[in-house]
Amino acid sequence: MTPLEDIHVILATDCGSTTTKAILIQKVGDEYRQTHRGEAPTTVEAPFEDVTLGVLNAVTELAELSGRRLLDDEGRIIRPVRGEEGCDLYISTSSAGGGLQMMVAGVVRSMTAESAERAALGAGSIVMDVIALNDRRLTHERIERIRQLRPDMILIAGEVDGARTDKVVKITETIAAADPKPRLGAGYRLPVIYAGNRSRREEVTRVLGGKTSLSIVENLRPTLEEEVLLPARERIHDLFLEHVMQQAPGYARLMEWVDADIMPTPAAVGAILKRVATESRINAVGVDIGGATTDIFSVFGEEFNRTVSANLGMSYSISNVLAEAGLANVMRWMPFTMEERDLRNRIKNKMIRPTTIPQTAEELIFEQAVAREALRLAFIQHRSFATRLKGVQQQRTIADSFEQDAGIESLVKMMDLDLLVASGGVLSHAPRPEQTAMMLIDSFLPEGITRLAKDSIFMMPHLGVLSQVHARAATEVFEKDCLIVLGTCIAPRGTAKPGKPALSYRLQLPGDEERRETLRVGEMRRHPLERGAEARVYLDPARDFDVGSGKGVPLEATIQGGTVGLIVDCRGRPLSLSSEPAERTGALKTWIEEVGVYSPEAIPH
Amino acid sequence: MKLLCRLAPWFAALALAPLLEAQDAPSEAPSPPTRVQALDVPNDSGHAIEIRWKDSPAPGVQSYEIFRSRLAGEAARGATEAPWMSLGTVGPGEETWTFSSAERGVRYSFKVVAITADSRADSEIVTGESRAQWFDRDKFWILIIGGTICLFVILFIQLATRGRKLFVRKIAGLEAVDEAVGRATEMGRPVVFVPGIMDMDNVQTLAGLTLLGYVSRTIAEYDAKLDVPVSRSLVMTTGREVVKQAYLEAGRPESYNEDMVHYLTDEQFGYVAGVNGMLLRDEPATCLYMGAFFAESLLLAETGNRIGAIQIAGTAMPSQLPFFVAACDYTLMGEELFAASAYLSGDPKQLGSLKGQDVGKLIVMGAIVLGSLAATLALWTGSESLQSVVDFLKLEMFV
Repeated sequence: MTPLEDIHVILATDCGSTTTKAILIQKVGDEYRQTHRGEAPTTVEAPFEDVTLGVLNAVTELAELSGRRLLDDEGRIIRPVRGEEGCDLYISTSSAGGGLQMMVAGVVRSMTAESAERAALGAGSIVMDVIALNDRRLTHERIERIRQLRPDMILIAGEVDGARTDKVVKITETIAAADPKPRLGAGYRLPVIYAGNRSRREEVTRVLGGKTSLSIVENLRPTLEEEVLLPARERIHDLFLEHVMQQAPGYARLMEWVDADIMPTPAAVGAILKRVATESRINAVGVDIGGATTDIFSVFGEEFNRTVSANLGMSYSISNVLAEAGLANVMRWMPFTMEERDLRNRIKNKMIRPTTIPQTAEELIFEQAVAREALRLAFIQHRSFATRLKGVQQQRTIADSFEQDAGIESLVKMMDLDLLVASGGVLSHAPRPEQTAMMLIDSFLPEGITRLAKDSIFMMPHLGVLSQVHARAATEVFEKDCLIVLGTCIAPRGTAKPGKPALSYRLQLPGDEERRETLRVGEMRRHPLERGAEARVYLDPARDFDVGSGKGVPLEATIQGGTVGLIVDCRGRPLSLSSEPAERTGALKTWIEEVGVYSPEAIPH
Repeated sequence: MKLLCRLAPWFAALALAPLLEAQDAPSEAPSPPTRVQALDVPNDSGHAIEIRWKDSPAPGVQSYEIFRSRLAGEAARGATEAPWMSLGTVGPGEETWTFSSAERGVRYSFKVVAITADSRADSEIVTGESRAQWFDRDKFWILIIGGTICLFVILFIQLATRGRKLFVRKIAGLEAVDEAVGRATEMGRPVVFVPGIMDMDNVQTLAGLTLLGYVSRTIAEYDAKLDVPVSRSLVMTTGREVVKQAYLEAGRPESYNEDMVHYLTDEQFGYVAGVNGMLLRDEPATCLYMGAFFAESLLLAETGNRIGAIQIAGTAMPSQLPFFVAACDYTLMGEELFAASAYLSGDPKQLGSLKGQDVGKLIVMGAIVLGSLAATLALWTGSESLQSVVDFLKLEMFV
């Protein structure tokens, strides 16, 4: 591989389920910039059954657009750079063929099984099912489930090191009895990773060694007080390359082409978000809403979490969104009334024709209403997953004994959130950036001061894998080209009666322009602030409201502009919309008009 | 001279005669108490008669003595030696006496005797009978409050039965039971449950055993180990039944072993020594203390804390709560212990009762706050109307 300092041109591809996306990153002056993008249909399925064909098509398009020759006459990627042709580095991610699909198992669902799930999700896999002793299923039901699902890999955790019990052996016996077969490739054994009680390794090897390709790594929970995910994640990655990728059509060839290991797409997205959050010392949340699933990534205090809501999406899973959220919850985001029958028909149409896009403003508003609910539900799942370790002895003070809040506090604290990044069709391709911003605000309900951004062309996977080999290039492109900064949202936390003062603020805009305003509960205000521009805000919240420094305590901060600018949201947190339809639609219309989400004539009367 | 000497005693006698006459003649008798009445005391179960009279107008009355006889009416009047029995004596100026040991339905005769230094005057004889009343009208407000609470209980039960979700705030200690049992499962160590040191006649022990049922079911589901040392034989018997039932409900009857619940000793500190020994030897991952505790609370909880166990305690003994709060991860305080079964079961009847009782507590708390404010303001301003509010709350509503 070319030395890092000599790398000038980087080619990156992401082989998705339907589309293979290629981007070209070039050194422009002293910095790396993403210059061109090309795409082509993925060719992992029949009749082609060779992922490299799609890659070559995408790279060909990229070459045409950039005017740079990237493939030689034999269809190989030219490396290293030779004048105006070729590239120095080629990297790729993959989620084709459903990505990496895993099953995980543990003794207790909320402890070792959850740690196993966290390890698998963090490695970029889709967790098909979680088996645990307390999952309220009988042994034969578990066996049947394992046989039905046919995962790419199984991760087993269970018990702390030295535990005087054999529960984890029972779990492995269940898996052995199922005699699981891998999804791809008939002639090889299913990779199984054992990351449980150290003292049960021999028994586990005896039970599973002959039936599966068993790897043993360090216990995920050597004690209940600590969680060691890295060895298991690395082994998942290795096995993904060694076993799963080798069986997928064309991947063996693709693996020879790349200069860095192929990563599962979600793992790459997580990697770049984690790197940026860690380097900038910020807390960040990223969301990728797709047709079938919604991925949410969060980095809070260097604690990385990822969840996949496998049943929340905008096309294949749209019916499920409606079922889980309820019709009333979807309807509450629409500034006009719709027949329930009409609404249900639209949802079913979207499910059976997943590639259709809204043709009218009405359809667009409806789709974005569904997206709000899908995102809200996925984020609830994420917050409940991203918590402290369970089963740990607590050091509670006397004051804690009188606390009324009994739930386990999530690590994802909205007041501490600095950056919210959106990606996925309905967010990235919304006709107006204001729509993306409003969808993010309505579904995630950020508190205090939060920067909003979207991934312009879903470049995060490419940059994630690039960050493993060339961190500087990845970070520079992420900040300059990947993210389209929408702006900043300021939302005081607290509630009061509508009409009461919520927040007074002074905005020091570039060019010594100053604005002073007092917003009342239920009001929103948008101030244009260009991308790259900064402004100083002096916030003085009312007694019941908090903008990050305590109830009623003023705060001074610098905010960044973006395509939308600054949105001050004084609707209150938690947000409650009126149950009175006329009042609610009236309020929605006011907010839509203020932020400029839809043009007024787009809203049906 | 001799004659004078002989007549002198006669003159002296003549001179003193009027005085001597006044001394020997009987004094005027006091007029007896008038308007004597024997009335049934209202709002009781028929055991009291109140005797009322008008103070004798004559001076010199030193006291009144009240008599009663079981002979009623004419019989008492006609009897020369009526079996009168003294009920007691009151000073002058007093005009009532309550005969509080009357038999229900028996007609008694009463008379009040005015007593001077040397004479007595009997009043007329009156009769009276005590009767039981169905309602104690003095407790009218208790009826109203009780009725209101009952109505709320019924209302909430109805709402819960129809599927309305009744909000019951989360009890952190109970929410943590799953986590605590999970910890024991992952560590391969037992869960120790201590149901207090009192017998089955203590309501806290009953509440503790209800929780034992829930904990045992969770333990059965997780296939963890349970150890319940007890200090009373009856608690052991009941505890075994509770645990057995829980294992049956969890679908794991084969995992039940009656030695899970075992007797140590009735002696308080002998029991503590036994349990502490177990804690140190077996190092359980989880300790639960639910019931009535005394001096042993801190001894047990401190040992559990030292071995690194997750500890959840619950007791209604106010003096022991600080020790549990200091040494345990979670503590169910007082009412929380009793509310636990409703909380855990989600049974509409129990939940409705819980909510109804909450309304009752709200009424009492409101009255206390109102009374305190009214009493303070009455003292400050001297307002009679405020004082009447205080009197009403003190006497009518809650006494």
